[in-house]
Amino acid sequence: MLSEFRYEAPTSRSDLLSLIANYGARAKVLAGGTDLLVNIRSGTIKPELVIDLKRYDGADALTWDAQGLVLGPATTINDLIRDPRVRRDFPLLAVCAHDLASYQIRNRATVIGNVVNASPCSDMAPGLLCLGASAVIASARGTRTVPFTEFFTGVKRTVLSPDEIVERIVVPAASAGARGEYRKLKRISGHDLGIVGVAVARHNGDVKIGVSSAAPVPVLVSGLKDSNTVDEAVAATLKAVSPISDIRCTKEYRLFMVETFVRRLWEETK
Amino acid sequence: MKTISVKVNGKAYTREVAESRTLLRFLREDLGLTGTKEGCGAGECGACTVFFDGRTVNACMVLAVEADGRAVETIEGEAKDGKLSVVQEAFHKHHAVQCGFCTSGMILSTRELLHANPKPSVEDIKDGLEGNFCRCTGYQQIIEAILDASGQNPGEGGLKHA
Repeated sequence: MLSEFRYEAPTSRSDLLSLIANYGARAKVLAGGTDLLVNIRSGTIKPELVIDLKRYDGADALTWDAQGLVLGPATTINDLIRDPRVRRDFPLLAVCAHDLASYQIRNRATVIGNVVNASPCSDMAPGLLCLGASAVIASARGTRTVPFTEFFTGVKRTVLSPDEIVERIVVPAASAGARGEYRKLKRISGHDLGIVGVAVARHNGDVKIGVSSAAPVPVLVSGLKDSNTVDEAVAATLKAVSPISDIRCTKEYRLFMVETFVRRLWEETK
Repeated sequence: MKTISVKVNGKAYTREVAESRTLLRFLREDLGLTGTKEGCGAGECGACTVFFDGRTVNACMVLAVEADGRAVETIEGEAKDGKLSVVQEAFHKHHAVQCGFCTSGMILSTRELLHANPKPSVEDIKDGLEGNFCRCTGYQQIIEAILDASGQNPGEGGLKHA
């Protein structure tokens, strides 16, 4: 059973933002609910109010404009995978998305929710980092844009204030056409949390490496070029990560698998 | 409490529900549609799979209040006019049901898979059904049933030749 809470589903953006401003940390925002409802059920959190953000106009929009790909707060993981232009222009995002949880979860879970939770094992973060994506953050006070390289501040911590939400993700048009792959170490071949995840993206001579589950926050390794050797890419990546040993595996195994995936993907994305 | 209006298997219901009630509990306990099962209650096992506005979701991870104005389809809507659907027939024929607890979810996930991909490969089937756990069959008979339901040769394996 879930603990008791009140539920509001504002139908305008301004009502949504003022509700969030009024309740702050006493409220939780509901998008796909695939983490929120688990956490309420387990008693980890006990919100006074649950604010459903899916009912305002345009919440689930996936649009393309001069900036690039723009995702709304209710855009689901499967919305992303099903979009033919995403698969053409940002195939790495579709690959990362496909590795996230199970089909039914992907029908509900949102892209923004996956990054806002700021889990070190976020499947979307490595790809979004590689492609130079940003979060457009909104509150009743106004909006600001934060690149994902500056968005995560610790395990399950972000730059968001209690009155703010991520209203959009922008994946820049300049990254369209990047070739990329994502590899995730799991206990089973079905759906599972990642033990380590590595994304590699190549575009116009630049190579970016995104890593999940190997530091308190998802990590981006930038500054690499096609002309670098794979050994240099491995060295730069191992310098950027700081894995721990936990119930899922040891620090040493994580480092080994980060290196293994970087080596494999470096070749595969050439 | 909130009043919600929801269409389940084409029939309109209006009910008062607690905000914290899941769609799963609403279906089972308020509407008496117990074909949808609760396994893990945390979105892992897929026993509670239902269609929510035309897409499969885990009903344990949806609030009943979110269903206000929406359409839900459950296993009770699968057979039409007393006749099993093609997928149900295939599950029956291929012994893809043992204890039956996962079957409602398996059938609805299969319907969703075949809608998008009418001739799935064995890999496509495993991928499409990864969110549905079966602890009895070892999955082989389920895969054969889905191959058969999609007009493909289910092969010679499985229990039926044991």
